[in-house]
Amino acid sequence: MTDIKVRPATPSDRPPEDLKKERDAFIQQFFRKGAQFTEELLKENERLRDRINDLERENGKLRAHLASDEAIRELIRKIEDLEREKQDLVSRSARAEAVKANFSQMYEEVEGELANFANLYVATAQLHSARSVRNVLRALKELLAQLLGAAAFAVYFVSDDGEELVAIASEGVDVADVARIPARRGPIGRAFTSGELAYDQARDVSQASLEDPVAVIPLHVDGHVHGVIAIYGTLPQKTEFVTIDRELFKLLGAQAAPALVNARIFTDTGRKVPGIHAFVDLED
Amino acid sequence: MAEYSCLIVEDSPMMRQLLVFALARVKNLRVTEADDGVDGLRKLASTKYDVIITDINMPIMDGLKLVKRVRTDPVHKDTPIIIITTEGSQEDRQRALTLGANAYITKPIQAPQVIAKVKELLKID
Repeated sequence: MTDIKVRPATPSDRPPEDLKKERDAFIQQFFRKGAQFTEELLKENERLRDRINDLERENGKLRAHLASDEAIRELIRKIEDLEREKQDLVSRSARAEAVKANFSQMYEEVEGELANFANLYVATAQLHSARSVRNVLRALKELLAQLLGAAAFAVYFVSDDGEELVAIASEGVDVADVARIPARRGPIGRAFTSGELAYDQARDVSQASLEDPVAVIPLHVDGHVHGVIAIYGTLPQKTEFVTIDRELFKLLGAQAAPALVNARIFTDTGRKVPGIHAFVDLED
Repeated sequence: MAEYSCLIVEDSPMMRQLLVFALARVKNLRVTEADDGVDGLRKLASTKYDVIITDINMPIMDGLKLVKRVRTDPVHKDTPIIIITTEGSQEDRQRALTLGANAYITKPIQAPQVIAKVKELLKID
């Protein structure tokens, strides 16, 4: 470093007094202005700093607000998803309910069918397990009363000359009124002659009539009609014949007469089962 | 699984068979048959039953007498009794209910009706 030697001032170097004053005034003013400017700068700086802080706070709030809006949007999306899921579940539940109702209906129908089959089975078993005419007729009367709800009826067999139908059992009617009837006249005679089951589905079958029975069932043996069951009226609560009744009519038409004939033959043979030759040497 | 027992008191073999067939649809139900009231009482004396089904009109001992006797039996005094009646016999039905029968079914019997009544009294689904 080089030292600078300052020469002492001589009187001629000194500025005049007025200039000195002016210079001092200028310097003082310069410094005052500088200080004032600095102070203004500091104030401005402070103001800007505050403004920045305000903006940052505002920015923070806006960010929080935006985040909050996003969360709400997310929640709304979730709610919409859940609503869709709920609708789907409700729809599936409705379908499941419909399937269940369908199954319940099918179950009831199957139960009804089983009950009908049971009735038909019982009817057949009762007819063919009886080993005397009296017991077959008793079973027949029970079947007519319990399964068909018949209140007034008669079971007829054709007379030897084929001209009359003779009542061999009856219930709910005066025996004298139904004892013998012409084999080829009236609604009973027509059913006997034609061999066709006769009943009117549209009729109130609880309204009894001796002249016009509510059902006439021809009794078949080996392809020929040998008698009929005439139902004159049913119990008050039984006002119509339904599908199972028709099946019972058909069953009785096919099974009742053979059961009676078999019981008669079994009784006539002294209630003895034939020996083995009767089942081995078959001629029929 | 609980097992229930039912006594059917009925003189008609056909009715008994129909009832047995109907009650075969009730799970875990053991069914015993009796020909009349006396036979029914004999069976009740040797076994505890959960439900009794009895006809009203029977020879030897009818259903009404049976209901009366059952209600004095300490073992079966609370056992549910279903009576079988015909539609026209309201008096018998009322008398049986007064004597302590719990329910009735009318002839001609319908299997679903019998099943429903037995399930209801045994409190099974």
